[in-house]
Amino acid sequence: MSLSDLPDLAALDKDGALEEAHAGLTRAGFIVGSAIGGLALWLPSSASAAKIPASDQDVLNYALVLEYLQAAFYTESERAGALKGKAKKAATTVGAVERAHVKAFRDLLGKKAVGKPQFDFQGVTEDQKKFLKTAVAFEDLAVAAYKGQARRLKSKAVLTSALGIHTVEARHAAWMRYLNGNVPATAAFDRPLTRPAINKIVASTNFIVQKKPKTSSRRKPRYTG
Amino acid sequence: MRGRGAIALGVAAGIAAGGAVIAVNDATEQPAAPPRASVALAPPPARSALAIPPPEGLDDGPDVSRWAHVRTATAARTAPRLGAAVVGRVAERTPEGTTTVVPVTGRAEDAGGRLWLRVTLPKLPNGTSGWVPRRALGGYEISRDKLVIDLAAERLTLLRRGKIAMRAPIGVGQSRWPTPRGRFIVRNRLERFASPEYGPVAFGTSARSATLTDWPAGGFIGIHGTNRPDLLPGRVSHGCIRLRNPAILRLARLMPVGTPVEIR
Repeated sequence: MSLSDLPDLAALDKDGALEEAHAGLTRAGFIVGSAIGGLALWLPSSASAAKIPASDQDVLNYALVLEYLQAAFYTESERAGALKGKAKKAATTVGAVERAHVKAFRDLLGKKAVGKPQFDFQGVTEDQKKFLKTAVAFEDLAVAAYKGQARRLKSKAVLTSALGIHTVEARHAAWMRYLNGNVPATAAFDRPLTRPAINKIVASTNFIVQKKPKTSSRRKPRYTG
Repeated sequence: MRGRGAIALGVAAGIAAGGAVIAVNDATEQPAAPPRASVALAPPPARSALAIPPPEGLDDGPDVSRWAHVRTATAARTAPRLGAAVVGRVAERTPEGTTTVVPVTGRAEDAGGRLWLRVTLPKLPNGTSGWVPRRALGGYEISRDKLVIDLAAERLTLLRRGKIAMRAPIGVGQSRWPTPRGRFIVRNRLERFASPEYGPVAFGTSARSATLTDWPAGGFIGIHGTNRPDLLPGRVSHGCIRLRNPAILRLARLMPVGTPVEIR
């Protein structure tokens, strides 16, 4: 799979807001300046959990963010109740699996697990066409990401786990591609994607909220008392 | 052929990784030959580091409510379409400078395919709702908590997934400034301010006093501590919910912004 084979996430936004957001990030030097864009904000500064090499924990946390993203996407789709037919069934089924992935990562990483980011899917979860297109992109992205990180893993046990999830993500990708009218596999070989490439794509969607809404303050209350 | 001698059939297969050799001996031709079969097993697959649990179905139950923050100020309309009458406006910021959050109670699509959400507005009369464009709001958030204010019993109860997480006696509005009844939301949290009459922490709600309409900052009802714990419980306030300071501190540890509030 190449980058160009991925559905264009920016095309989901009719008004070009996503494209503008991505351009803004690039202009501000965000992707270069803050290392690797959106996902970087959620990566741990250090990791050294027992029995798992620190570099593997780093990869696991990176994967966990992608799993958070997928789980939140399908969960919100299911809650919104806007999907119908096979897409609804797929969202429900895949969502349950992605939540299981999140739980497994969190259980393994314990206190070393990164926190769940805040997401804003901007209505994509409430429109069947946009949902399917985004689902294809997310699943293809996950497959490429796992493949890209495999060579970095030192622990065979972690690699075995990653491969187990990788194939499931590939099945999800095939399912969503079928529902979206895409051919599940056109190339003889799939290519991995590097972290910067993955991060750039995720950042371009603006689905991960970079600036959380402010809901607390030190101002003196002026309630009725 | 059988009388001339023994014929042994052997099939050997080597598996490079494990060096496994499988030999099959035809015992009917050469029964005296000792079995030469040997199996050197390949290493077992590596165990998995992750214990993947079964797929987890959504377990929302009846106690989940949905809310969102306001991304851009917008008009709220009586129906989910651009031409519908304006019922009110939703501001980006509260009078306290925090981001406005609103309960989301419905969704609809107009003829042009645009998404609209029905939200409860922070305006009088309390309980007014209106439709706003989906894009005016941020991502959905959910709450599994519910704060119940029982005016008659002068008691606050925080429910988590329907179970009691906290209870406390409270002060409520005097008869001339009654605490409004209805369904609201916790909009913000203020702390580290120097104002002893509000205690150490104050929560802002979307409820508004129907009598103190000219109160600064709109007459919103808060949930806060007090410097007069001796008055609680009782009908002592201008409409706000007052708790003793240890109770408001405990509530602050348990209750996030976005929690729905039912005053009854």
